[in-house]
Amino acid sequence: MITRIQNALEKCGISLWRINETAEETAELFFVRKKLDTRRVKDVHKYQVGVFRDVEAEGETKRGCTFTNLIASMDDAQIEEELKSAYYAAQFAANPYYELPDPVKAPLVEKTGALAEATLAESAGKMARALFAPDTHEDAFVNSAEIFAHRCLCRILSSEGADVSYTDAYVKGEFVVQCKQPEDVEIHNTYFYDELNEQALSDKVAEALTFVRDRARAQRVLKSGKYDLVLSGNAVGEILSYYRWRSYAQTIYAKYSTWQKGEDVQGTDAAGERLELTLLAREPYSEEGIPMEDLALLKNGKLQAYHGHNRFCRYLGVKPTGGYEKLSCANGTVSFEELKKGPCLWAVTFSDFQMDAMSGHFGGEIRLAYLIDGDTVTPVTGGSVNGSILEAQKNLTFSTERYTSGRYDGPYAVRLKDVSIAGEGA
Amino acid sequence: MFNVIDRVKPGLKKLIAALRETYPYASVLAVADDGRSWNISRGGVSIAASRMGGGTGYVVRVFDGVGCAEYSFNEFSEEKIPELQSILARRLAEQNKALEGFDPLPTPIPADEPAVLKKETAYKIHPRELGDEAIVERITALRKKALAYDERILDAQAGVSYRAYRKLFLSENRDLDQTVLWTTAVVAAMASRGQEIKMGYHPFSVLGGAEVLEDVDNGVEKVCADALALLDSQPITPGEYECVCNPETTGMIVHEAFGHGVEMDMFVKDRALAKSCIGEYVASPLVTMHDGNAVDETATMFFDDEGTLTGDTVIIDRGVLKTGMCDALSAARLGVKPTGNGRRESYERKAYTRMTNTYFQGGDATVEEMIASVKDGFLLEAPQSGMEDPKNWGIQCMVNTAKEIKDGKLTGKIFSPIVLTGYVPDLLKSVTMMSKEPVLSGSGMCGKGYKEWVKVSDGGPYMKARIRLG
Repeated sequence: MITRIQNALEKCGISLWRINETAEETAELFFVRKKLDTRRVKDVHKYQVGVFRDVEAEGETKRGCTFTNLIASMDDAQIEEELKSAYYAAQFAANPYYELPDPVKAPLVEKTGALAEATLAESAGKMARALFAPDTHEDAFVNSAEIFAHRCLCRILSSEGADVSYTDAYVKGEFVVQCKQPEDVEIHNTYFYDELNEQALSDKVAEALTFVRDRARAQRVLKSGKYDLVLSGNAVGEILSYYRWRSYAQTIYAKYSTWQKGEDVQGTDAAGERLELTLLAREPYSEEGIPMEDLALLKNGKLQAYHGHNRFCRYLGVKPTGGYEKLSCANGTVSFEELKKGPCLWAVTFSDFQMDAMSGHFGGEIRLAYLIDGDTVTPVTGGSVNGSILEAQKNLTFSTERYTSGRYDGPYAVRLKDVSIAGEGA
Repeated sequence: MFNVIDRVKPGLKKLIAALRETYPYASVLAVADDGRSWNISRGGVSIAASRMGGGTGYVVRVFDGVGCAEYSFNEFSEEKIPELQSILARRLAEQNKALEGFDPLPTPIPADEPAVLKKETAYKIHPRELGDEAIVERITALRKKALAYDERILDAQAGVSYRAYRKLFLSENRDLDQTVLWTTAVVAAMASRGQEIKMGYHPFSVLGGAEVLEDVDNGVEKVCADALALLDSQPITPGEYECVCNPETTGMIVHEAFGHGVEMDMFVKDRALAKSCIGEYVASPLVTMHDGNAVDETATMFFDDEGTLTGDTVIIDRGVLKTGMCDALSAARLGVKPTGNGRRESYERKAYTRMTNTYFQGGDATVEEMIASVKDGFLLEAPQSGMEDPKNWGIQCMVNTAKEIKDGKLTGKIFSPIVLTGYVPDLLKSVTMMSKEPVLSGSGMCGKGYKEWVKVSDGGPYMKARIRLG
């Protein structure tokens, strides 16, 4: 198929191009309680082709680009028709000129380990057993679960001579835990592992079962006001995603962010921990074929680098890094037990916790929180968080305990001062 | 564009026949997909094949001795039939072996009543016919108009997207063929207050083509004014208020707060409070809720992704919960009729119960009467996001704008951002006024949990209710 595409590109007179070939295979399991609802398997092979076209406009050379998707069952005429249509469109997507990524030619980078080497059916089966292992009590149980074992081969070729490829494997999914007494409640959970991490999944389910028991007895007594807010797990990563977006080359180029390299972006008035953030490379190459490596983002609260796709990095005159999805935080000064001391609200689960990086506001509806005041710990539910990272970043304290998920690796918890909470209590 | 479906159809029929030699039920959904999006912002112009819909491919569904199983693939020819049979058999055997000890969820094989259908939706101008040049010129002009509105506008974005698809569903007794085209557009303006960026936006959608652009010009001034007004917005004092929801906000409440709770795959899992409320008052008698193809919007279709014909489902009738929406497998498990709501993100994904066009019927009030009736409250606009809670019917919806109303008049004060919380039936039972005409918007995508994105539309009339804001 690659040869057919290359021949069609040549026939259409398209000299600048990139091909992303992806072969994906999955085994997917769906459960209701411990009973098997549906089994799914998938084998798909896709080709995305980007075509670039230089045009003279307003006295300068501009470069346009469009993308189209091809599949092997298309005949040669259809492939040519799609490529011609994309190439025609590219002239109307002309942007300031930029160089394409420096080409890299390298042997296949193969992922190793149990997940990459076992059959997908075996991996999915093992994760199913791990997921249900802690589900041994009647009062709180796994209501339903989904498991996706995924493996793929990605290859990136370009007209400039790039030819790199790698294999990837991961397992991800979700599960819902339920507790019927004294109130019938549930908590929705997601997971993502790069390895066949059965123990981590079992631990996550066990913790979720504890939380859902507490949600079942939680009361709607939270009063509106300002609280010291403790966030944990994925919510910490969500809060810190603000810094990734604000330093993204496209955001900087569009002037949605004014951050400069070396700037104290956390603010000189930040009295709490100074942020130490790193962007983590999950794959060896970006979709543009750029070799990916971990990138220091913030040191001592100061911006170290811009990051992003080729075009916008070229515009800013910085090295293209590729796009990052995972963030690491090296902070952490006190134990989680210490972090929770003093009056605070530990918000454990939300219906959906979101950071709006454009405005800096974060919030969500509380499904379970612990209202902590000295030795008194009260599970509460209902109400919502409505905060701003622009204020909260002035006084951050992180736990020394660590947490890892698909998009975040860092302290398990963070304490934010004086966050606005809308309660439901009288 | 979609003649691949005609080319492969005889082979797919042979595939069904071949699979039926081994399995008591076999069906295939073939999807041919086309789409493109055009966008402009300070970051430049972008044109790309739309990734909505997931592309062209096939999904086979069979029942074996364990239960329901599916195989998704995107390379098919008649010659490949023995290979496909062999792959499916081998991988199911591997999976069944790895799952020894797990019992199947009892699932009767869904009815396969005979049906033949071939339909397509109408459009005035196909975006491909209008052409890339004309569309880019149009969105460029929209952006220029927004930037010229006020020097405080930091940036403006404009975009158009379409998806056209043809779906063929074949089983032993069914031969269903539909072609659908929808198109959406958006204009947005941004203004900054220090590090904080505020955005006004207006989405447009149509079951059709580039005719969506006919009204877009009218949205530009409003989004700019909204963005600038938000610069002076304040945080709200949390509390319960009399609120008038504009149609988009009503739509978010219909969809996120209530609709997800009546998706009947949640009934199978015992995850929906609604299961125990059928036949009961869950809302004010002013509330009647529909889902389906009685309206032409972006989620209109003639059959769903499991080969069930679609229709108009009345979910709430004058305050009483009548039924939920149901996919074919859940219907078989629950012993009810499917409602044509079995939808997939793409041929690569599982079918779940999903909403289509979901909305509240109109009432008899005017918007002016509704605002005049509010002593101390807000007009809620610009919905941002929402999250379902079928188990407990908790509300989490976010809106960008709450316009203050005092003694029946808008004061000009704006509060943002706003989180709506509370208990869904409490909110719906507090509805006291509905405006006459429902308005639907189909610009968004809907997820199930945090994934499985499908095109939906939702809406309703202006709606007055008591809502907890924070």
